[in-house]
Parts: sequence; structure tokens; C-alpha cells
Amino acid sequence: MSLAEPVAAPSGAALSPAASGHLDVMARRERRFAAALLAPAFIALGATTTFPLLYLIWTSTFRMDLAMPFMDGFVGIENYRQLFADPRFWQSLSVSMIYTVTTVIAQVILGLALALLVMNMKRGQGLFRFIAILPVVLSPAVVGMVWRSFMLTPEFGVIDYLSISAGLGSQNWLGDPFMALVSVIVIHTWQWTPFAFMVLLASLASLPDDIYEAAKIDRAGPWQRFWRITLPLLRPAIVMVVIMRTMVALTAFAAIFTVTGGGPGTATEILNLYAYRKSFTELSIGYGSALAVALLVVTILISAVLFLIRRAK
Amino acid sequence: MKTKHLRAIGLLIVTGIFILAWVFPIFWSVLNSLKNEQDVLAYPPKLFFEPTLAAYRSVLFGPQSILPNLWSSFVISAGTTILTMAIAIPAAYALARLRVPGSRWAGFYVLATQMLPPVGIIIPYFLILRNIGWMDTYQGIILIYLSFSLPFAIWLMVSYFEDIPFEMEEAAAVDGASRLTTLRRIILPQVQGGIAVTIVFVFLNAWNEFLFAVVLSGNTVRPVTIAMFNFVSVEQTLWTQLAAVSVIAMLPVVILGILAQKHIVKGLTVGAVKGGGRR
Repeated sequence: MSLAEPVAAPSGAALSPAASGHLDVMARRERRFAAALLAPAFIALGATTTFPLLYLIWTSTFRMDLAMPFMDGFVGIENYRQLFADPRFWQSLSVSMIYTVTTVIAQVILGLALALLVMNMKRGQGLFRFIAILPVVLSPAVVGMVWRSFMLTPEFGVIDYLSISAGLGSQNWLGDPFMALVSVIVIHTWQWTPFAFMVLLASLASLPDDIYEAAKIDRAGPWQRFWRITLPLLRPAIVMVVIMRTMVALTAFAAIFTVTGGGPGTATEILNLYAYRKSFTELSIGYGSALAVALLVVTILISAVLFLIRRAK
Repeated sequence: MKTKHLRAIGLLIVTGIFILAWVFPIFWSVLNSLKNEQDVLAYPPKLFFEPTLAAYRSVLFGPQSILPNLWSSFVISAGTTILTMAIAIPAAYALARLRVPGSRWAGFYVLATQMLPPVGIIIPYFLILRNIGWMDTYQGIILIYLSFSLPFAIWLMVSYFEDIPFEMEEAAAVDGASRLTTLRRIILPQVQGGIAVTIVFVFLNAWNEFLFAVVLSGNTVRPVTIAMFNFVSVEQTLWTQLAAVSVIAMLPVVILGILAQKHIVKGLTVGAVKGGGRR
């Protein structure tokens, strides 16, 4: 990151006082110019991110019920106290963890396997690169809709048809709590594995060939080469994929919303969805805000851990 | 020799399965959108049938036409893109090229804003927009789309500005060109490609956004991703039409994705690569 890299300029100390005074003027001008260029961005970011965050924390200390506005009022940390005693909060947190861990691990393993496979292909790499783009650019809402209707609808969807053909019978894919959770995990993995694949393939392609040549001369087997060379060299890319995908999985919304809406019951209700449902379905904005703050705290804690892992060599 | 053959066949099967798994849901939507009401319900599912454009005709020109929704999606995405680029390009230039005190912190701030869960942004925004009567308005939804499009665009543009050699600016400065002229005449033409790529991704992300749209949309602002729910209800799902709407909603982003094919890894990992590089 070379954000702070100065525009190449001689150091002022070596110059005559007059010249350094001139440089001061230049520097001040540059600073003013920079401020003018940056101001709109920071005003906009402040207004659309920082200000809402502060306002969110503020509303989380209120009882704010759009259905019962006459009960509204400041309650301090009451919402948070309620949150800790709320089984649905803990349930949604655990669904979040299951959803995040399974989808991220599946994406990395499948993406890495596919990248290694494609890397060794002599022909057809282009086809894979092309196909990998498709799911990634689609709207998760549309992906959810397609899966829900054309893949998973009992006695209509293709997956159900395959299940019947395989003698497993028609399943209520989205009506059964366990199957519903598996379904939303599979859908998320389907859509985002190509992301891991593309990133890891790019990283693989940038690895130096001579290390492998040397390993071959030393008679290292393919597994040894993978564990001893490929994996350590890919580590930064893998960790990056894990960090990015974790952040996205924690705030996944559209696909789950379209496929199950969080149900059946609260079977697929990740914390993000719970905060949404509380705020906009049950119209309990104050408590919903507290849930959103909790989600932010969870996000920060998890990313802190991941960044520590990233730093550790 | 034989094992080699077996391995090649095995490889072919595995890759075939992967390709099928990723293409099939999309392919199947396209297929269903071309069926008539009987064919779509046929069981076992039909792979071969007489294709018809009836579903497309119905969703585009029928009573439940999605044309207004396509327009809505377009206005939101185009508005977001224009506003984002107008703000992000100068900011990215300043962050990448100028001596700004605390620019590292500024860069970090831009990155940190992306950590905020969208649901935490939409709750307060919903309250504010409701108070000022901006629910279901384009300005309301476009404004909030800046929360995710700006950090992304700034970071992506910073990476393109950093690729330009410094000599170009120095030469222009020696010639007595003002900073603004230098930016306009010398720098911007150099990053045209980067600007195009950024536009593609900002547009794509805005087109695909869903959470903010669900909360803020109404009768005026109603993007396709929301309108597709019109074709699903508890009593009846209009399968062919739902498929047609899905395909229509996919089409623009697939085209954009293919256009930006070479840059997609960069677009997907920007910020993480840059900002995370040091930590």
C-alpha cells in the first residue's frame, strides 16, 4: 500500500530558505487541492456510513416500536440485557457460525481443488474461467429464486427429481429445518466457490515454476509438492479468500431471504436476518438496532482474529 | 499407459461434473423460460420441447410488465454509478498521488466503512428517510448505495492511479500546467480503462443489491429483483414467467461480467489486497 507515498520532491532542508519557503507554498497548495478532491468522498462516506453507525448505536438504547409508538422511550442498555437473555439471538448466532464456517470451508476446499485441477489442464482453461464468472456476477436474490423454484421445489425441481430417481424419494427441501439449512449453505457455496476458484487460480498461476522443477528433481511426490510447496505459497491468497468470504457470509441476506426467509421457523435465520426481521417485520427498531450492533461486534471480533492469523507466519 | 488413460478419463468426468453443476441452474432457467405452461410442468422435466417466447412476451408486455421495474433498476444503477464515479475519481487521485497528511488513515477509514453490516446502515436510514419523506424515492436509495459503492470505487481507482508513472505529472508541472489541468488532461486519459472497469463493477453491484431495495422500495422505486416476487405466491407460481424474469435480470450483469472478464479477480479482491497488504 503506497497511499502515503509523497510525490517525488527533494527534501526542503537541503535548499535555501527562499526555495524552501516556495516549497511550503507548494505543499500548502497541494494540501488544499487534495482536501478539495477528498471532501465530497468523506462527506458522503460520513453521511452514509459513520453517521448511520452512531445513530444506530443511539437507537439501540431506545425502545422503539413502530407498531406501538406510544411505548417508545429511552431504555439505556435494556435492549442489550434483553439480547443476552434472548434464546433466539443465541440461536441466530449459532446459525450464523454454522453457515459461515461451512460455506467458507467448502468454498476454499472446492475452489482450491478446482484451481489445481484446471491449472494442470492443457486445454479448456478458458472455458472454466468463463463459466466461473457466471454465478459470481449474478444477484444473490435471483440465484436464490432460481434455486428455490427450479431446483428445489418438491416434485418439480431438478434436485428433487434426481432425489426421486435415486430412490431417495421427494424431499421437503425447504420445509425441513435441517434440509433448509443445508440448502441455503449449498446455494451460497454454489454461487461463491467460483470466486475462491478464480482468486486461487490467479495465485497459482503466479507461483514460480522453478521451485516445482527443483522439487521434481528431488523426487518429491505430488502430495509432498502440494503440502510442502503449493499450500505454503498459496497461504496468503487462501487467508485473503477466507477473510473476504467470512465477511460476506456473516452479512449474507438476499439468497436466504428469497429461499427460506429465515425459516422454517428460525432454522436458517442468521443473525443478520434476525436483525432485519426484528426491525422490519416485527417493527421493533430499537431491539433490531441492538441486534445489528451485536452483529457489528461479532464481525469486528472475527475479523480481528482472522487478521491476527494473517499476520502470524 | 493404462493408468494414464484412466486418470485422464477421471479428470474429464470430474471437470465435467463441475462445469455441469455451475452451468445447469442458469441453463435450466433459460430452458424453462422458453417452455409453455404444459411443458414446464411436465414430469419428469423435459429437456426437449418446442421453444416459445410466450413467457417473455407476457412479462415484458403483459399486464404484469416488468419494463417499469427494469427502468427502475436502471435508474438506480446508473444514478449510483454516475454519483459514485464523480466522487470517487477525485478522491482516489488525491489518495494515490498527493501528499495528504494522514492519508494512510484516510485510506484505512475508507476500508473500515466496508466492515459495517448493511443491516446496521439500513435501520437508521430507514428512520431518517421516513422522517424526511424520502422512502420509495430514487434519491433516497441512490444516496444509501454510496455506502458500499464509494469505498469500492475509491479503492479500485486508487490501484489504477498508482500504476501511472510520476514523470507524466512532473513534466506537466514543469510546463506550468495547473494541478486540475494536469489531472484532466494528463492523468484521466491514462486511467480510462480503469474507470471503465470501475463503472462496470459499480453498476453491477448496484443492480444486484437487495437488502436496501427491499426496505426502501415501494410503488415508484421497484427494481427487478423485488418485482420478481410478483410471480411467486402461496397459491400459484407462474413458472415460465418467473424463469423469464430471472433470465432478464441475469442478462445485464452476465454481459457486464463477460465484458470485464479479465479484470474480475481484481474487482473482486480490491481493498483486501491493497489495504490488507500490510497487516
